[in-house]
Amino acid sequence: MKKTKSKKRNKNEISLKGDSSGLFLEVMISIAVFLFAITLAGVLAINSMLSNWSDSILGALTVQIMPVNNIDQGKALEETLVHQNKTMEYLLNVEGVEDVKPLEEKQLQKLLQPWLGDSVDLNQLPIPRLLDVKLNKNAKIDFMGLSEKISEISSQASLDSHKLWLSKLIGFADGLRNLALVALSLVFAITSGAIVYATQTSLGLHRYVINILHIMGAKDTYIAKQFSRRTGVIAFIGGALGVAFAIPTIFMISKLSEAIEGGIISEAHLTEYSWAAIASIPVFYTMIAMVTAYYTVKRTLEKTM
Amino acid sequence: MQKITNKLNSVIFMQNVGLRYDKGPEILSDIKMSLKKGSFHFLTGKSGAGKTSLLSMMYLAQKPTRGSVSVFGQNVNFANRDNLAMLRRKIGVVFQDFRLIDHLTAFDNVALPLRISGMDEREVKQRVNEMLEWVGLSRNINSITSTLSGGEQQRVAIARAVINRPELLLADEPTGNVDNDIAFKLMNLFVELNKLGTTVVIATHSEKLISEFNYPRLHLQNKGLRIYYPKDDTGLEKEDEKD
Repeated sequence: MKKTKSKKRNKNEISLKGDSSGLFLEVMISIAVFLFAITLAGVLAINSMLSNWSDSILGALTVQIMPVNNIDQGKALEETLVHQNKTMEYLLNVEGVEDVKPLEEKQLQKLLQPWLGDSVDLNQLPIPRLLDVKLNKNAKIDFMGLSEKISEISSQASLDSHKLWLSKLIGFADGLRNLALVALSLVFAITSGAIVYATQTSLGLHRYVINILHIMGAKDTYIAKQFSRRTGVIAFIGGALGVAFAIPTIFMISKLSEAIEGGIISEAHLTEYSWAAIASIPVFYTMIAMVTAYYTVKRTLEKTM
Repeated sequence: MQKITNKLNSVIFMQNVGLRYDKGPEILSDIKMSLKKGSFHFLTGKSGAGKTSLLSMMYLAQKPTRGSVSVFGQNVNFANRDNLAMLRRKIGVVFQDFRLIDHLTAFDNVALPLRISGMDEREVKQRVNEMLEWVGLSRNINSITSTLSGGEQQRVAIARAVINRPELLLADEPTGNVDNDIAFKLMNLFVELNKLGTTVVIATHSEKLISEFNYPRLHLQNKGLRIYYPKDDTGLEKEDEKD
């Protein structure tokens, strides 16, 4: 019986499947992936909502100067313009403000044309003046503080209320996102811990096999790789099942939120990158399980001779 | 100088070996022995005398608490893990409890040592089939081992131990679960392997087997080891004081 060494090794030299510990690990991983996918989808949706809202208030701002009440329209206009100039002067010195321009008469006329027609002299009417404020997109502006300051500078000036309301909502959503990130981290920590524990438990049941292979002369890395590979296959199947359940669930929730027409939740949709991120979750959990399996086996063997 | 030559020529060489588990008392004390290449020994002693522990040091599952053990000329205290693994590949072990992997077939269990050593799958198939046929299990090649009888499992365990043509074969009560006919058949298999150059140590309680096969006996008693050689004509044994 002549012994010949093969040039290439069989990738799956030892069949380690066919026991219940693998099923336990598979179920644990599918639950972990499902939970993480749902949480991640929530975080990504909040993120996309925030990004949509932020885009709508970034870069530009409108300040409204209410007309001063005076029977003499000439004086009223003069006083209004004083308020406008004071506000402009202040705004130009605010960090993050790149430019401030009052809306020209022509533009105002164009805006009011549907209601007032073409032949109206705006200077004779008590209409608000508008300041178009150009912002640096990267500037972090405290809209609430700015609104208060503008009101202090000029009793007639105020920030566009929609944007102010949106900025408050963004503040709330930002907090919600941070909370969701904490939840995501916790879910990740708990599910990873569960997978590490399940992998170790599964391998604990295989200690017998590890010892047999060890006594037969298998090297530590060889045994560790065999178990790591087997665990990887189980983990990937479990992960794929978890994602297979998670995707329709997320899709359903997403469709339900879209049904709320014009509502703020409808902004919380998932991009194709978000779906790709969700679909790739099993890969990460498979890696966790494989690395755990590898080092658990190595550690088990290091305790032996 | 004589000691060094002994050590180098021996498959197993033990010098002042002691073994204890945790903080318990020594179960083996001052063991000295030298097993020459191609020798055949029975290992005897009462239950609890330390036969399994002594074997476990021989198949490199246990380091001695004191003293030195050399296997194939290599002191196990100084060998690294990869070297120990390579030494283990030269040793075939038949365990009292078989230690088969229950969810694998007879074929896959017997193929384990060959696959571990990286043999080509075609050759693995050929050699395993031949071996299973030789031990009378050609009908059970694809049977899951947990479904086999005790005797069949024992033969699978023996086939796995010898498939790699080990230089050292250690067997712990290898005939304990089979009837006399199969026991003698298996013993003849070990004798054949021994004739091909394999050093064999068989732990047994069976006086019948020991008297039938005329080989030296390593006897464990009072934590120590004595070697007895059979007397050719009378069947009486004499103690060898040299070892």
